Amino acid sequence: MEDLKSKLKAQIIEALNLQDTKPEDIDDNAPLFGEGLGLDSIDSLELMVLLERQYHIKVEDPREGRKILQSVQSMADFIQSKQPA
Amino acid sequence: MAAISPQATFEGDVFSAPLVHTDSNLLTCMEPDYKPFIPANSLRRMTRLLKMGLTTALQSIRDSGVEAIGPIVTGTGKGSLQDTEKFIREIEQYKETALNPTPFIQSTYNSVNGLIALQVKGTAYNNTFVHRGFSFENALLDSMMLLAEGAPNTLTGALEEMTAEHFYIKSRIGFWKPTPTDSRQLYDQLSPGSIAGEGATFFVLTGTPTPNSKAVITGFRMLYKPTAAKLAEGLAEFKEGIDLVLTGRNGDSRYEHFYQQADTLFPGIPQLSFKHLSGEHDTAGAFGMWLAAQVLHTQQIPAQWFPMLKALPATINRVLLYNHFYGEQHTMIVLERV
Repeated sequence: MEDLKSKLKAQIIEALNLQDTKPEDIDDNAPLFGEGLGLDSIDSLELMVLLERQYHIKVEDPREGRKILQSVQSMADFIQSKQPA
Repeated sequence: MAAISPQATFEGDVFSAPLVHTDSNLLTCMEPDYKPFIPANSLRRMTRLLKMGLTTALQSIRDSGVEAIGPIVTGTGKGSLQDTEKFIREIEQYKETALNPTPFIQSTYNSVNGLIALQVKGTAYNNTFVHRGFSFENALLDSMMLLAEGAPNTLTGALEEMTAEHFYIKSRIGFWKPTPTDSRQLYDQLSPGSIAGEGATFFVLTGTPTPNSKAVITGFRMLYKPTAAKLAEGLAEFKEGIDLVLTGRNGDSRYEHFYQQADTLFPGIPQLSFKHLSGEHDTAGAFGMWLAAQVLHTQQIPAQWFPMLKALPATINRVLLYNHFYGEQHTMIVLERV
């Protein structure tokens, strides 16, 4: 799980071009939108694309997306729940 | 007004800035530090053309002293090529699935206009013209009509970028010279093709002069694929009282005869060309207009940019800018001293 979160943080930084942010600056449970990283609606679409490209997971329901993209922790939980046991 | 170009036109003193030249047939823009102009959270998403366009627009507004900007009107031949190329490449790479929204959004021609409007909270008329070598000129014409209808001012500009891929494609269809050419020798080495360039240029236009006005536009004409007779007729219309002719001559032997026609129609009147500074692109005419306004306003010519310069009149009150894009779109603009 820790490895997945670290990898995810690096992927978020690269996908959103967060130039002055390092993986260790991102708190696992901090909100990604509004406060925290201060991401916006276009970033949420970019994160959906990230999930699809890197983890082959397509989020069909936008309401579900809101919950999944709350934090790095919620994204990692979602990815893990979709991986074969 | 403001310009980001291959020369040091955006910051500092243009009269002491050295001439930037190339022997790779491509003049690339000197980009400033964008951080003082664009919030970091927006900057991270923008590609070169968006940063260049937005920053030039904001600097132009600052320079004008105008507080509330009215209509925003721009012209671009190609828009954000970097975003367009990325988007198209990803369509192929990911088989039309999982496409990033950002390059798609920013590949649209009017994305710079949208960014400007968001940044200055402008809700007035907003339009981008995409008409190849007439893109900036149509934006200018539209702006002049808006001012005639009572708009308090317009933010009018042009933007173009060159990418490695686009340079290659255009080289395959003869836009650039087949051998490396020193940009300083552009007008002496006549052969098919020119050298490529790019740039962002913005002006704040008003219906009547203000204390910050640099020049006045008193004549304007566009001619599409004119015959020699039509071109002569068009140029002759602006013959009266011209002190300086500024041409878009670009060293392309296939279309040099148009500029030679201007030479014969304005004998004895000093002439300068600007494509060795800006390179050739769809909206290079906007750089020519910036240069003409700069000369009229300061009554000086950056001597280091024009080593071919011999003698100039003591005062320059009226400049004719004549430019064409590969022999098709011809433009004449007369600018006068305020």
